[in-house]
Amino acid sequence: MAQKIDDLKVYWNKITYAFPILNDAIFSDCSNTEYEEVQQLISGLGIEIKIRDLILVHIEKYLRQHVAPNFWAKFSKVDEEIKGFQLFKSAVTDLYEAVSSFSPILCRLTILNNNCNDNKPIYGEKDVILGFKQLVRATLLSQLPLNFHIIINHFYKVSFNVFDNEYENSEMAEDVMCSGCLNEYSDCNCAYIVKVFHDTNRKLMDLQLLERLTGQVLTNFIQMRIESHIQKICTGTFDISHIGFLENWLDTTLMTWLTRIYCAGSSKPPPDDKNIQNAISKFKQKLSYFLYHSYTKLRIDQLFNIIIEYPDSQPAIDDIKLCLDKTDLRPTLCKKLQNALETRLLHPGVNTPDILTAYISTIRALRHLDPSGVILEAVTKPVRNYLRNREDTVRSVVSSLTEEGAGSELAEELAKFAAEADGDNDKDDAWDEWNPDPVDADPKVDSNDRRASDIISMLVNVYGSKELFVNEYRTLLADRLLAQSVINTEKEIRYLELLKLRFGESQLHFCEVMLKDILDSKRINALIHQDKSIEELNKKFTSNAMILSAQFWPPFKDESLELPEEIKQHLEAYTKSFEALKGNRTLSWKPHLGNVNIEIEIGTKKLDLTVSPFNATLIMHFQNKPEWTIDELHQAMKVPVTILRRKITYWQSMGLITEKSTDFFVLVDSSDSKTNVQTSQVQDMICEDEETESVMTSAQDQREGELQVFWSYIVGMLTNLDSLPLDRIHQMLKMFALQTPGTECSIQELRQFLDTKVRTHQLVLQGGMYKLPKT
Amino acid sequence: MKVTVKSWTGVATWRWVANDDNCGICRMPFDSCCPDCKLPGDDCPLVWGACSHCFHIHCIVKWLHSQPQQQCPMCRQDWKFNNK
Repeated sequence: MAQKIDDLKVYWNKITYAFPILNDAIFSDCSNTEYEEVQQLISGLGIEIKIRDLILVHIEKYLRQHVAPNFWAKFSKVDEEIKGFQLFKSAVTDLYEAVSSFSPILCRLTILNNNCNDNKPIYGEKDVILGFKQLVRATLLSQLPLNFHIIINHFYKVSFNVFDNEYENSEMAEDVMCSGCLNEYSDCNCAYIVKVFHDTNRKLMDLQLLERLTGQVLTNFIQMRIESHIQKICTGTFDISHIGFLENWLDTTLMTWLTRIYCAGSSKPPPDDKNIQNAISKFKQKLSYFLYHSYTKLRIDQLFNIIIEYPDSQPAIDDIKLCLDKTDLRPTLCKKLQNALETRLLHPGVNTPDILTAYISTIRALRHLDPSGVILEAVTKPVRNYLRNREDTVRSVVSSLTEEGAGSELAEELAKFAAEADGDNDKDDAWDEWNPDPVDADPKVDSNDRRASDIISMLVNVYGSKELFVNEYRTLLADRLLAQSVINTEKEIRYLELLKLRFGESQLHFCEVMLKDILDSKRINALIHQDKSIEELNKKFTSNAMILSAQFWPPFKDESLELPEEIKQHLEAYTKSFEALKGNRTLSWKPHLGNVNIEIEIGTKKLDLTVSPFNATLIMHFQNKPEWTIDELHQAMKVPVTILRRKITYWQSMGLITEKSTDFFVLVDSSDSKTNVQTSQVQDMICEDEETESVMTSAQDQREGELQVFWSYIVGMLTNLDSLPLDRIHQMLKMFALQTPGTECSIQELRQFLDTKVRTHQLVLQGGMYKLPKT
Repeated sequence: MKVTVKSWTGVATWRWVANDDNCGICRMPFDSCCPDCKLPGDDCPLVWGACSHCFHIHCIVKWLHSQPQQQCPMCRQDWKFNNK
């Protein structure tokens, strides 16, 4: 028994001599021939499997207790990059050495394993060496410390800097510092860094740890590089396409670098190693997606500015277009752009023409970006809603449609449309370029409509109908025609023709008649001036008239004005002459409209002014009598006192009339030198009548006139039913009065209408109920 | 102070001196034009009949062409143009 135990001790010593790991040591002097002996011994005892498993357990223990903690101990948190670089290098080198030192043991273990003949996989691998590597990886990763990525990051950063520098240029040679390793040139470290770098990578690759250990860090790091590179390159300028350049950068700089990491220094992957090639190409796919993604994101953040600068920024739009196909950022784009528009455009601080300009740019840019119009539709919805709520939108659109010179893109657009309308219809030729609508398209809308709608129709569609637009144009035209003493009819006719192409003949028929009225008036004036009786009167001053066809002009504001006797005579003579010229027709004057050219002499000063008939009448009254109370003026001119008070300010601002006491106005005496100075100053400032308000009734007033029809119904209702809430009134109106087409009236409109009635004390609103006031 | 008017440009609307507002045939205002015309006034004048009814000239001519007898559509008297 004792003999046996002694034998066992000898055997065990021999075995531990061959496999020192069983005593937690690695080195032994065991040679191959010695091992053969041990092997035979083990085989003789029939304990191969047991010994093997025991050895594996001990290897695992050793790795866990020594190798892994030693390795990770180096991964402390350091701030200096170069220190991190060194630490990582030494960690990997030590690991590599430690792992290498296992090779004699592994060698013997392989032989032992081959003798086991049980085909049991070693840590899931069929081979001892592979199993061991697997074990190393598993052990290491099981003890991953929290901050392990920091020094890995340092390591790659340092080496990438060197690499980047080497790659990019050598023309910065005058610098004292090497921009690669940030040392002075005299002791530049670059070559050393590159060497260490490749060495370390080779070792990691050998351990198959490269991707596992550094993959995430490397990806993060490269993504950061990509982002900062994009930031560096793409800020500010929109007039250059960057995507090609970025792709190139990825292909050359980044990919070469990656290849070098994977292939230990050579810039081309070994042609026979499929694994490395796969890994690299996978990495590249990931990175190019990331490149597109971050580039697009950056551009989307700048999209509002890009749009404002369109068409100068077209390359940027092209880039986005390209990238949108490769990324899934469409929804982000819509959302972000919408937000940008809302915060930067759609608030009371922005003028309507500016909003319109931005809207037009948006339409143009997004149309280029997405010809199907889906993005455009989604993004501009809030803009359209907002514009609808602005009162001066139509006016702005119409005036920019017709104004000439810079900034009137719409006028150009209108002319362009006219040019295009002549000959296209090459739709069928492009059938092979057809693309289906994007997934986010609204299936209810015909895609052709969406594609076809151009800028003007999109603007018109803000309101949903052409009529409103045409009406506003008519009002504006009327204002212009009446305000200008010299009318450029040719220009107006040209625009009218352009508009007719767009809105159709019938809609603009009224405007045509208006223009013709103006042309005819000139002729009639010339004819009437030949009349003997008029000629006599005209010696004093010439009278002209604009003779309008009332049915075709927008309704005029009704204002009364009693003209001076002299003028009235003149106009009567004109009417007589007209009646003689055109049988069976007569004229009714609108005394408050038109313009008057007067000359005012005060002392030595002469003022030559073009003013409204109102102002002319007013000053003429003061010519005869220098002092007027407001009531006397009211008697003489038949103008409401409030309007008089408002309008007399014109002459006050000219310094010709002062309000001596409340409602008592006095002509300023010419001998007063102080006011004389003032007058000459004022004369410089105001040469034209400051009244710019429209003489036409506003669209709202017109609508109110239409609603007036319902007033009798409402009065009837309220007399019978005493008091009613708003929606009941609306319902009843719908039932009885709103059935005829063209008399729709929304509840909001009705509320507004009733509110005006409340303000004029024709109605009483009590607790949400409308009532007739008690008489 | 002396104010001299150098020129006065007034605004007036013209209208037909007729005993009605609308044409009895097309029901359009006289001051507008008949449905076939585009421009009012000289291009679409009124005519008076001996019966003192008046119409757009185009309307009454059309009417007379479509009728076997030349009668005023308002009072059924024989239609005669009144050249006053």
